Amino acid sequence: MFFINAVEEPLEAPESSCSHIAVKLAFEGDPPGSLTLRTTRAVGRSIAADFLGDDAAALSERQVEEIVCELANMICGAVLSRVESRAVFRLGSPQVLPADDPATALSGRAADAGTAPAGTTVRLAEFGGGGLTVTMHMEGPACTVVEKFAF
Amino acid sequence: MSYRVLIVDDSPAMRAFVRRVLQLSGIELAECFEASNGEEALSLLRTQPVDAILTDINMPVVDGEEFLLRLSRDELLSSIPVTVISTDATKNRMARMFSLGARGYIAKPFRPEELREELERTMGVSND
Repeated sequence: MFFINAVEEPLEAPESSCSHIAVKLAFEGDPPGSLTLRTTRAVGRSIAADFLGDDAAALSERQVEEIVCELANMICGAVLSRVESRAVFRLGSPQVLPADDPATALSGRAADAGTAPAGTTVRLAEFGGGGLTVTMHMEGPACTVVEKFAF
Repeated sequence: MSYRVLIVDDSPAMRAFVRRVLQLSGIELAECFEASNGEEALSLLRTQPVDAILTDINMPVVDGEEFLLRLSRDELLSSIPVTVISTDATKNRMARMFSLGARGYIAKPFRPEELREELERTMGVSND
């Protein structure tokens, strides 16, 4: 559908939360958790343009937000589909976080600074002229050893 | 042959995206309808016959599961092939949707040719 390249190095910290968009998606299941996707509005616009086949400048902020929400949905669904669990995960609706939310203001560098709590994984990706940070938090192990070897 | 397809998704941007992928797939579209949830889709289907339905699962008012259930109980509409488009590709979820009457299932992200193959398969179109 579109392609991004994962990078090893943390991306440069952005300027302000106004230029960024962060989306959070909670999910229920065993274990429950959440995924937060954060990127610059410029990157979000570029991704939305690729998705919709439209000129980036012609897209509304709402369209950009909807596509970033859908991207978070896709990433979360793809990750959970690979979790070795017998539970049915139920994804909530992705929500755009307000500009003053800490997750929106969090820079890519800060997100990768190793301060993430247990059960949290942070991944950075480079897309065009900016970065995209995905933070996945699971409130417990994804599967037991017994379950793992049962498959 | 060209087809009449209904896209059911609560996100206008996603409906536009699926419509675009349909066009890129090369499948001939006579008409492409849109509905934002299962309820709206059922109303539309009373007046507009379609050859295939592409539906999301998580939607307000009437979600994908309830939509499939209502379709299967409707004599006039139960024969329309439904393909679920979802990010959730777990076996349990897929089995659940097939048990409710879905004939196809596509996990996002997907390629245009995958969409075409699945649509044609559910509609019984042979490329021989």
